[in-house]
Order: sequence, then C-alpha cells, then structure tokens
Amino acid sequence: MSQLTVDSTATWKQRLEGRVPPRLDEEIDIFETQIAQKRQGKIDDKVFAETRLRRGVYGQRYDNGQRHDGTASRALEYPCGDLTKGPNTVWDAPGMLRIKIPFGAMNGEQMEVLADLAEEYSDGIAHVTTRQDIQLHFIHIDDTPDIMRRLAAVGITTQEACGNSVRNVTACPLAGVCRDEPFDVSPYAHAMTHFLLGHRDAQDFGRKFKIAFSGCEQHACGLANMHDLGVLAQVRTTGNGTRSSERGFKVFVGGGLGPVPHQAKVLREFVREDELLPLAQAVCRVFGRLGEKRNRARARIKFLVAKLGIEEFTRLVDEELAGLPADERWTAYLDRLDVADEHPTRPGAALEPGPRPEGFAEWLGTNVQRQRQPGYVTTAVNLPLGDLTSTQLRALADTARRFNGGLVRNTVEQNIVLRNVSEADLPALYAELRAAGLGAPGASSLVDVTSCPGTDTCKLGISSSRGLAGELRKRIADSIRTTGVLADEAVKDLRIKVSGCFNSCGQHHVADIGFYGVSRKSDGRTMPHFQVILGGQWTENAGSYGLAVVAVPSKRIPEVVERIAGLFVAEREKGESFQQFIARVGKARIRQLLDDLTKLPTYLEDRTLYSDWGDPREYTLGDLGVGECAGEVVTAVEFGLSAAEREVFQGLLELDRGDAGTAASRAYAAMVQAARALITTENIDIGNEPDEIVGEFRTRFYDTEFFFDPYAGAKFANYLFRVHGDAETDSSEEAHRRIEEAQLFIEAAHACNQRISQVQAARVA
Amino acid sequence: MAADLLDGEGAQTPNLDGLVKFDLKVLAADAAEVEAEEFIPVFHRWITERVLPELLIDVADYSHVHEGPGVLLVGHDAIYAYDLSRGEPGLLYSRRRETSPELEGIGTLERRIESLLASTFRACDLIEAEPELGGRVVFDRHRLELRVNDRLFPADEQTALTLASAFRRALAEAGVRDGDAPVEVKQIGEPRERLTLRTG
Repeated sequence: MSQLTVDSTATWKQRLEGRVPPRLDEEIDIFETQIAQKRQGKIDDKVFAETRLRRGVYGQRYDNGQRHDGTASRALEYPCGDLTKGPNTVWDAPGMLRIKIPFGAMNGEQMEVLADLAEEYSDGIAHVTTRQDIQLHFIHIDDTPDIMRRLAAVGITTQEACGNSVRNVTACPLAGVCRDEPFDVSPYAHAMTHFLLGHRDAQDFGRKFKIAFSGCEQHACGLANMHDLGVLAQVRTTGNGTRSSERGFKVFVGGGLGPVPHQAKVLREFVREDELLPLAQAVCRVFGRLGEKRNRARARIKFLVAKLGIEEFTRLVDEELAGLPADERWTAYLDRLDVADEHPTRPGAALEPGPRPEGFAEWLGTNVQRQRQPGYVTTAVNLPLGDLTSTQLRALADTARRFNGGLVRNTVEQNIVLRNVSEADLPALYAELRAAGLGAPGASSLVDVTSCPGTDTCKLGISSSRGLAGELRKRIADSIRTTGVLADEAVKDLRIKVSGCFNSCGQHHVADIGFYGVSRKSDGRTMPHFQVILGGQWTENAGSYGLAVVAVPSKRIPEVVERIAGLFVAEREKGESFQQFIARVGKARIRQLLDDLTKLPTYLEDRTLYSDWGDPREYTLGDLGVGECAGEVVTAVEFGLSAAEREVFQGLLELDRGDAGTAASRAYAAMVQAARALITTENIDIGNEPDEIVGEFRTRFYDTEFFFDPYAGAKFANYLFRVHGDAETDSSEEAHRRIEEAQLFIEAAHACNQRISQVQAARVA
Repeated sequence: MAADLLDGEGAQTPNLDGLVKFDLKVLAADAAEVEAEEFIPVFHRWITERVLPELLIDVADYSHVHEGPGVLLVGHDAIYAYDLSRGEPGLLYSRRRETSPELEGIGTLERRIESLLASTFRACDLIEAEPELGGRVVFDRHRLELRVNDRLFPADEQTALTLASAFRRALAEAGVRDGDAPVEVKQIGEPRERLTLRTG
C-alpha cells in the first residue's frame, strides 16, 4: 500500500473502506458506538466490561488508578476523572489488546500490520502468548476500533479473544509438516474457528472455552489434554479387510490448567471429520445450558464434566446432538481443506558442505527439525519471553517471503516457526535471522523459558514471572557457555515454565520444572516467592500435571534450578526421564535439597529478597508497622499455617506412595488447620473439632468475605466447604485435585493473614 | 529509499497541525558504560517522586530484546525510553496524546515540535544529572531523529518538506543549531517505514 497519495484528513475507517469484511466492519462500528455510549454513561460498567473483553480489550495492571511505589499506594490521576471502562477500571488506564491468531498462522502482510500497530499504539513490542495469540500492551481503549479495523483489513480479528467465549483455536505448529501426524489438522482448526466465532450457541458461557488440535499423541503437540475441548487427529480403517481408511478425531473434553488442573476425559474415541463441528456445537450447548454462571471459580467446563461424570456429560451431548438442526457449515468446509495449505516456494535440497555463519551449528542442532516432506525443514525463532520488536517482525516477514512464501506460525512456547524451508537455504536463512537478532539457538530447550506476563502487566500477577524467566534465561545461557551443570546433555531438553500466580497462564503444571508466584510474610514484611512444581509432563499432549513441592523466595529460584538439575545430572539412572527421576527420589528428598533456601532472612539481613526480579520497589503491602501485640498473634497464625503446609506436603508424599485415600484426608486436614490458624486471630480458644472450625471459619471469614480473594472471590473457601463432611475418596485424581486445592487454600490463608496484619496495624496506629 | 537532503521550503505546505504522534530520539554520545537495566530504578523513582510534570504510570523492561526499545517509562501522554534500536542507544520520547496542562493549547506543527524538543531535552538533562547513573550517560543534542508515528498522515515529499522546515525553525528556536542547517530525510515514500528526519 503506497502512502504517497492518501488524504491526511481521512480516518482509518475511511482509509480502509471496502477492505474490512462487512461482518467485522459492522462489529467494530458497534463497538465504537458502545465506546461513545459508555462515555455518555449509557452502558452499565459490568456490561461494558464484558463487551470490550469479548473484543479482546483487556485490563492491565494499575488500571484501577492506584500504584504501589514500594512505600505507599498512590493515585494515578488520569485526566478522564471518574470515567470507567468496567468495575474499578479507569478509562484512560493503559490496557492490553489480545489478538487472535488461529492456530498461530500469520502471513507477511499480517506481520507488517502488527508491526505498525505495535509502533503506533503500543510500546513497539509484539508479544507471542502461550496460546499462539499476539498481545499488545499499553493500549488506550479509544484507539482500539482503529486497531481492529487495520487488523480486520488483513484478515485478523480480536473478536472473542477474551471474555466468556471461545478463545483462540490453537494447534500444533508443525501441523502439515510433522513426521508423525496422520494428516494436517490446520484446515479443521480453521473451520472450527470460523464456525464458532460469534455462533449463537457459544455466547452464553459462564467462563472461557479453549479448543486445541493435535496431530499426534506422543509429543506435546497441541496440548489436547489440557483444553476444554481437545481434538486429536486419527485415521481408522474402514470396510471389512479393505485398505480404505477415513479421517477423524479422538475428542477430549473437560481438561484445563488454572488453579486446579484437570486432565481431559475422552468424549469420543473417534468422530468422523464431518461429525466434528456438530459435536463441538453440541458441547457448547450443554456447557451454555448447564455450566455454572454465578460462581466464576467453578464455571469452566471441567467442573461441569467432573460434577456430571463423563458418562452423563456424553449422554447430554448425544441428546443435544440428536436435536440439532442441520447446518450446511458442518460439512461445507470439507470441500476446501486446502484453505490452510502451505507450499514450499523453493526447491527442496540437502544442505551442502561449505562455509557456515558463526553459531550456525548450534542453531541447527536446537532450532531445526526435518519435515516429512524430503528436503524441507522447520526452523524455530527463539524469542526471549515471547517478545519481538516491530523491526524484527518486518524483518521476519521479509525473510519468510524469501524462503517459504511469507508464512509463519506462533507456538505455545512463545516462539515462531518458519516451515517449508529448503535445507539448502539454512545457512542463508540463519544469516538473515541472526542479522535481525532472531538467530538465538536453544528453541524448545532448557534456556527457552516460558512465562506469562505476571506482575509486569497482569492485574492478577503476584510475583514477577517475566523477571524470573529473564534471569533464568541469562543464567542458563551463562552456564551453557561456561559448561556448567546446566550445559549437561541430560537437562538440555527440560522445560521450565513460570506463572505469576496460581492461574497457570505460564502453564507451569505441565513443565518439567514449573513455578508459580506466591507471597510470604517475614519480619513484618511481604516477600515474593515462587512455588516449585515438579512432576509435570510436557510431552504426550501435556500428559500429567505436576504438584507444588515448596515455596522459595523469588531471588533464590535460580539456585533451585541449579540444585534440582544438578541432582538429576548426578543421580539419574540410565535411560531415566526427569519425571521418572522425580518420582523415584521423591518430593521429600527434593524438599530437603531446597530446605535451606526456604529460611527467610530479616529485612536488615538481606533486603534484596524483599523485592522482586527487575523491580527495585520493596515488595510490601505498605508500611505495616506491626505492633508487638499483633506480632504475637501473627506469629501464632504463621505457625499454624506452617503446620498446614507440612500436612499438605505429607499428603503429597502419600499420593506419591499411591495411597490416594490418605493423601486426600491430609489435604482436607491441612485446610482445616489453615482455617483454624486464621480463627486464632479472633478466637484463641478455638478447639480442634473440624465441625467447629469450619463453622467458625464460615462465620468469621466467609460470611464477612474477609477470606475472599480480590479476584477469585469465594473460590478457595469453597474448596474447604466442598470436602468438609465428604472427605473420603480413593480416587487418585480426586486426591491430586484436593492437594492442589489445599495448597491454594493455604496460599489464600497467607494472603488473608496479611490483610489481618494490615487491619491490626491500622488499629494500633 | 535513499536519503535526500532538503534545504529549501516546499512549494506546497500540507496542514500537519493535527499531527500529534511523534517520536523524537536523541542519540547518546557514548553509551558504552551504561546498561539499559540501570534505568529501571531511575524510572521507578521518577514515578514515585513525580519528577516530570505529567502522569507517569509504569516501567517496562525490554532490555532482553535485540536492538529493542530498551527500558521504558510509560506515561499517559508519552513514553520515554532508553532506546536501543538499530544499535544506537539514545533517549526516545514518543508522544501519544496531549492532555497534561503544559501541553494544552498546542495548535501548530511548529509549536508542537518545540514542545517535543523541550520535553525530550528536559528528560535528557535529568538523566545526565542522575546520581545513580553517575554521569555516564551524555546525549548529543545535535544528533536527533524526528519520526511521524501516525500512518494516517502521508509520508510524501510535501509532508517531509513541511516537517523539515518546522523542525529547522524549532531547532533554531531551541538554540540547538542554526536555522539554515540541513535536515536529512531518512525515509520518504517507503510504505512500511515512518517518515523520519535526522540531524547531525
């Protein structure tokens, strides 16, 4: 598009007239009108919030108009005054825009527009998310309609990127070129995206709904097991002994990470390709009809599947399916399965001997994979923390055009892959990527740490996940360069994933070594910590979920990685995987290994632990000035919470030993202990009977909402109420879940205790 | 596109008074002794101490990105950054809107560029005087880049001429250089790049 003849008085709507698809044009016009109406006070705050969320217009940290500078919370005096864009969300506060990139596929023109938008409206950075989206930060809501128009003009929408809707449909980034898949799932992901976008049966959910496509079972692939709806490509033989076959899918439902992860259940062992969209529609209808609406904490479909049981859920889906009116879109796309095809633009040829650019061999070893198409490879661009600049995005577009026709795919590991690259072109391709600062080796390896935004920009962030991830990248790279313990071949392919809170956006549950942000109180102040998660499995579509072992101060986490990796290097048995090793040595041993790191220094002994990575502000909730009297009570509470943590850890060990019943009982007991600890702040004579404790907890902390999490509300309290009186179970899955819940309950108790300290300090003052 | 040297007034003068979004970068004279991360505590303190007469919101660290925006101080009207793009460190001032009292009533392109220079140089002065940076950052106020950060406005020759003329006058007004000194146009007519003027 030439800019030499444009009219400078035009608007983007005028400039792009005829280039924005009519449906999206109308959609964006409606949103622009709603923005105007909200400015005039004609739309309710909550309604407008959901309206913008469904367009991908998300909140960002400090958008309540307050910012803590380490000593006090101060008002950010935006010029908009009282105008809000949702409950407690100031209009002028910068926000995040989530941009859906179905199955991560982008072309050159789209990359260029994203680059332009990042420069003009954001901070010059495009961020690849763990669900193959692109996010722009520090966006003003008034700019969003124009951004949406510019995106729509190149075939991108933000519609339903957030909110209670069908989110970005993800897929294996190697779909179509993978050596193990039975067929390319891309056109099916494409069809699913367009079928459910704005579909009337997908508009009344209590929570978000995530769909993923996988091509094979053994790799991480599309992570089908951890999605609300997971779709795995299958081919089955048909006919009696003939060699004909048909395409179809194994369909999973009710998986998900979040605070308490659930493994998906098999909804169908096999559905034919023509049955896939109606099945998804039926699932949406059941979820919309029966899913929880009022309690957000239990509104994901995983809770509905767990509550009903997969058999009953399947029956309801079948019933729904039988009554669905036929829709030609169910099968129309099957005539256009080439819609997502990508074809090489250069002849496939072997890599010839010859001079190589500096660093080529290492990059070749970690970032390049052979495709099933002979002579072609996929090459991964290893992005630090998923970030790249507008300049890099344009350079990538140019490079992709030269080597594969201009197509790339975002990955859930926050990288970008170029597919259909001729092996013979690898040195030239690498040279171009390197010149653009995109040639870092180590993709999908230990150094390639994944992270959610955390406290950098997320309103829910507790600890600095990006700060930690950045620090780990540096230290791991240094260790590899100096042939330290992290250079050992045994740990090369381990995955580290970091979330800033328990919500698991960094996918810490499925990492070899995962972390999620928590806080702890020490010396009257608050210290950022991370829970260490071990036992998760990235491969086999996120085959198993890890559990928390112990919380360690943020600044000591690099030492945690070195020690765990060092133990694995030193003591692993031949052929033993990291998961097998952790199971063999046991979490008690790991905890012992890390025990000294959990001992907290006083503020005067080591102030550095009282701030987070990349943020010099003291990590506190304010000048607490805890008085002597309150201090004593706090000590008692901390003691009780510490006992609760020990109890849940014992439950974890029981689970490792295979005793699900005892594990679940200990998880329950841990929650009761934590509840009792809190009650002692108000009733030091509280007894030890669970009924009494739960009753008092309900009265003193639930009914008063003092225990409620600012964002999750009653969620954690309900974990206790749910199992109280129904504590027995022999199900290892249920025991696993209860341990997760107990850990979160204890975290919530810690947070509640901090609020108690604040109130007591205020009273003393 | 190859750079041109413009030293005369344009025949046509498009009205650019409505153009608000500009980037102005002052290149560092010698950046070898400072790491971008060192700006993180400085910018946090600027927020706390309200060092600038405008609403400052947050600090963002992109020092891990190759030749990226470095470390940013995000304000409501503008973003300040110790910017590392093209491997040329410098202070980048990126204005997005004009809501703070000191920016009220800017009605012309020339006054806008004057205010861009004033805001940018004020930040340069503060950084050079920062005790935490110990005088290790010095900016060359003669090496400037002015970029139009709004693709609604044409990146054509007339715009470049008008902008260059206003830029020269503003630079002279600010006492940075002679009003007749040439301004180099780095990008013009290139669809993907923003119109950029450069001095020094």
